[in-house]
Amino acid sequence: MSKTVLGISAFYHDSAAAIVRDGVIIAAAQEERFSRKKHDPRFPRHAINYCLEEAFVEASDLDAIVFYDNPVASFDRVLRNALTVGPAAREQFDKAASAMLGHKIWLNDHVKRALGSLGKAGSVLVAEHHMTHAASAFYPSPFESAAILTMDGVGEWATTSLGVGRGNQIEILSEIEYPHSLGLLYSAVTYYCGFKVNSGEYKLMGLAPYGEPKYAQLIRDHLIDVRSDGSYRLRTEHFGYLDGMVMTNDRFHSVFGGPPRAPESAITRKEMDLAASIQQVTEEVVLKTARYLRKETGERNLVLAGGVALNCVANGKLQAAKIFDNLWIQPAAGDAGGALGAALITNHVYFNEPRTPPVGTRDRQQASLLGPRFDSNQVRAYLDRQGFPYHRITDDAQRMTAVAGAIAQGKIIGWCVGRMEFGPRALGARSILGDPRNKDTQSIMNLKIKFRESFRPFAPAVLVERNQDFFEIDCESPYMLLVAPVRKERQLPMDMARFRGGDDDMLSVINQPRSDVPAITHVDYSARIQTVSPESNPPYYALIKEFERQTGCGMLVNTSFNVRGEPIVCTPQDSYRCFMRTEMDLLVLEDCLVWRHEQPALTDDENWRKTYELD
Amino acid sequence: MSRQCFEYHPATAYRFIPGLKARVPHESGGYLLRANGDGFRCDREFVRERTPGLQRVLVFGDSFTAGDGVSNGHRYSDLLEGLLPETEVYNFGLPGSGTDQQYLAYQEFAQGIDHDVLVIAVLVENIRRIAARFRRYQDDQGNDVVFAKPYFTLHNGALVLHHNPPERRPIPEASLPPEERGAVDRGGRFELLRKLIRRAGLQQVVQKLSGYQPVPDYGSPRNPHWLLMEAILSAWVRGHSKPVVIMPLPLYQHVEGTSSAAAYQRRFAELGTKLGCAVHDPLPDLRQYSPLDRRQFRFPIDVHPTREGHAAIARSLAPTLAALLPARHHGTRHE
Repeated sequence: MSKTVLGISAFYHDSAAAIVRDGVIIAAAQEERFSRKKHDPRFPRHAINYCLEEAFVEASDLDAIVFYDNPVASFDRVLRNALTVGPAAREQFDKAASAMLGHKIWLNDHVKRALGSLGKAGSVLVAEHHMTHAASAFYPSPFESAAILTMDGVGEWATTSLGVGRGNQIEILSEIEYPHSLGLLYSAVTYYCGFKVNSGEYKLMGLAPYGEPKYAQLIRDHLIDVRSDGSYRLRTEHFGYLDGMVMTNDRFHSVFGGPPRAPESAITRKEMDLAASIQQVTEEVVLKTARYLRKETGERNLVLAGGVALNCVANGKLQAAKIFDNLWIQPAAGDAGGALGAALITNHVYFNEPRTPPVGTRDRQQASLLGPRFDSNQVRAYLDRQGFPYHRITDDAQRMTAVAGAIAQGKIIGWCVGRMEFGPRALGARSILGDPRNKDTQSIMNLKIKFRESFRPFAPAVLVERNQDFFEIDCESPYMLLVAPVRKERQLPMDMARFRGGDDDMLSVINQPRSDVPAITHVDYSARIQTVSPESNPPYYALIKEFERQTGCGMLVNTSFNVRGEPIVCTPQDSYRCFMRTEMDLLVLEDCLVWRHEQPALTDDENWRKTYELD
Repeated sequence: MSRQCFEYHPATAYRFIPGLKARVPHESGGYLLRANGDGFRCDREFVRERTPGLQRVLVFGDSFTAGDGVSNGHRYSDLLEGLLPETEVYNFGLPGSGTDQQYLAYQEFAQGIDHDVLVIAVLVENIRRIAARFRRYQDDQGNDVVFAKPYFTLHNGALVLHHNPPERRPIPEASLPPEERGAVDRGGRFELLRKLIRRAGLQQVVQKLSGYQPVPDYGSPRNPHWLLMEAILSAWVRGHSKPVVIMPLPLYQHVEGTSSAAAYQRRFAELGTKLGCAVHDPLPDLRQYSPLDRRQFRFPIDVHPTREGHAAIARSLAPTLAALLPARHHGTRHE
């Protein structure tokens, strides 16, 4: 009997919904894409609406509606923490209690109000937080059995879970519990370096190659005790999150010789070195844990999820270390993926549905293109109604020739084609694209398009068959979750004397070409790779292939289609607005090409630079 | 976000985006909407030739017919298929439209489609919409925008079509000449007062006490808006060779008894006699239900028919259609 299950994650950060039918993922999306509020933690009514739309199912026909986290268990943690820490934890307890009493306990009401029904089950089911991460990692993977590692800030109690998945079952073997958390340690350093917790972690990762791991031993001595099997304990007296609403406290600050960096102030060598240091410690924990897990489970395959799994540098090291034969990482590794995991585990464990073989792609994640599509009819309905000039090219080959030709001429392209990505990365459905050979691409994209700091690297989208021509990597990376070095013969020598001599200005490094594909080569000659295959995203593959035909380079620069602080675009309307607010040259909306120079000036625009909060 | 559901159309001003599949957020929790290749909310593609073994009914109307608030399968048009044996119903409902646009939709999309009966469902409020030349909508950012609509005027008894085709782009309301601003349909009379009363939750009490008449244009057979309605329907019915049913759809005030329906009932009855076509007035059937049941025919806030409301309309209309359909199919199925 067919089963349709809706999974929901909400009330922490990155709310999301996902829908699964008979084990096949029908749709998944983050609320922020619809609400236009970055990392939106609110009940994901828009994402749910979309999931039901894609599945074309009445809410009353859902076999189950599942929440990704057990609110009672989470409350138990907060309560016990408050009892342990005492009055100092009052503020944190108040906030958690109000979240519990204000939102989570009323889950049924939220769902009833948003959907008009609680489905056939008549009540919202709850799953365990780390179980949903484990499910999101294992079930969509290409493996019939695999070791499972999930690491994040905190779920109910677990912060790190080790398990194994076989067939349609998952077993958790061991866990590390709050307050000991690698995710929270990384977030604490993120906060200390002046970036936002739960969103600035990837900036810290991008900053790491500029620094030296000078503080790594200090971190080991004062903040975390890492054992040989990868398990760890935090020295909790250095952290602020147990008894307050901040990540760090004075003890933490004294370890690093001063207060946290003020957000938006100049980044100094200290932050670079701290970034490199926490990166090194993180990699150490991940690699040790993986070795232990391999030994304990005997599995050849490893799957990862949880926010720490978005650390693609650590993932790259894990891949290169060959502890496991194969690695698969859930692209929506953070809490958004919990919605997917909740739906999947209910489908496979609660309803005991078997797993189905992958269709089209090598895994069951369907290239993570699980969001809404706006077809040519819908695009033209919008453009026509607004009277915006466009050129429709229905012939695929002609369209790709035109777009690839524009990129080869140095144009920057907004690309809104096909179903939107699920997860934090743009994978060629809502992307800004440019020429990786052009030494100006990185600075143009950063300063004129993204309006953000220039130290952050852009990612290459490379034809899967050209992957090893560019990078030292022996596997595919379809979700941009692995970092690997650019091949030695492509690297260009850099003059680091000034930077190493103590000048903190990263521009002296950034502005030097580092390889024959400078726009995607980071200062340590690494790149965050996305491999593109013809089956994963046919139009995107065709575009890169055509670019290769025209230029000899089977790669594009790919960055998310948004400006700083804005959620990635979802609709043609979002895309057009973002396009017009930046200095992109061409917008591709399905088979319609919108040239900037032909557009009327954007009128009555909101003060959008103030609309979007910075990360 | 909700999807843009409509696209510009030069004949009717707009239609559903052909092939659209959407779920529309709504106070009911949301409803599923599917449009066919002609841009109408119908699970069936419109084909000229008969489907072997099936009789066919064409239904025109506005959002009450298109089914705002409920999924396709729960609308009275779709429910009729379950009540009438071997019958398929083509739904040409166009939300927000007046009878003028529905007539234009008929001319544009229904020509040559073989069928047995034509149903023209006239939400009685449509009399206001046919007098309008512009309609106000909200864009994807929630801003009010005004679009032109096609409309007819009467000149020496003949219908003259204007805004043909209507302007494609939204028009800033402030840019309309003063004489045109009164021709913007804002969803009814006393816009500000309506909002205040609704916010205070006093809608029903005020309507009952004031004897509020939501559609006063039916009060006189010489009312210019009624004359226009009469002319449109006359042209439509007289130009049509198959049996026609005009179905005046009541507003909730009529169903729930807070406003008198006598005037519009009289006008449509007179028109039926004049044109020699069937007029099916569902109001007496709807009034048979208890007040509590009748309140369930609309949503708590949205005045469109609920599933129950659609089911009641379908049950009311089915016998009239059965009588007009070929004799071999007489009779209705019982649920």
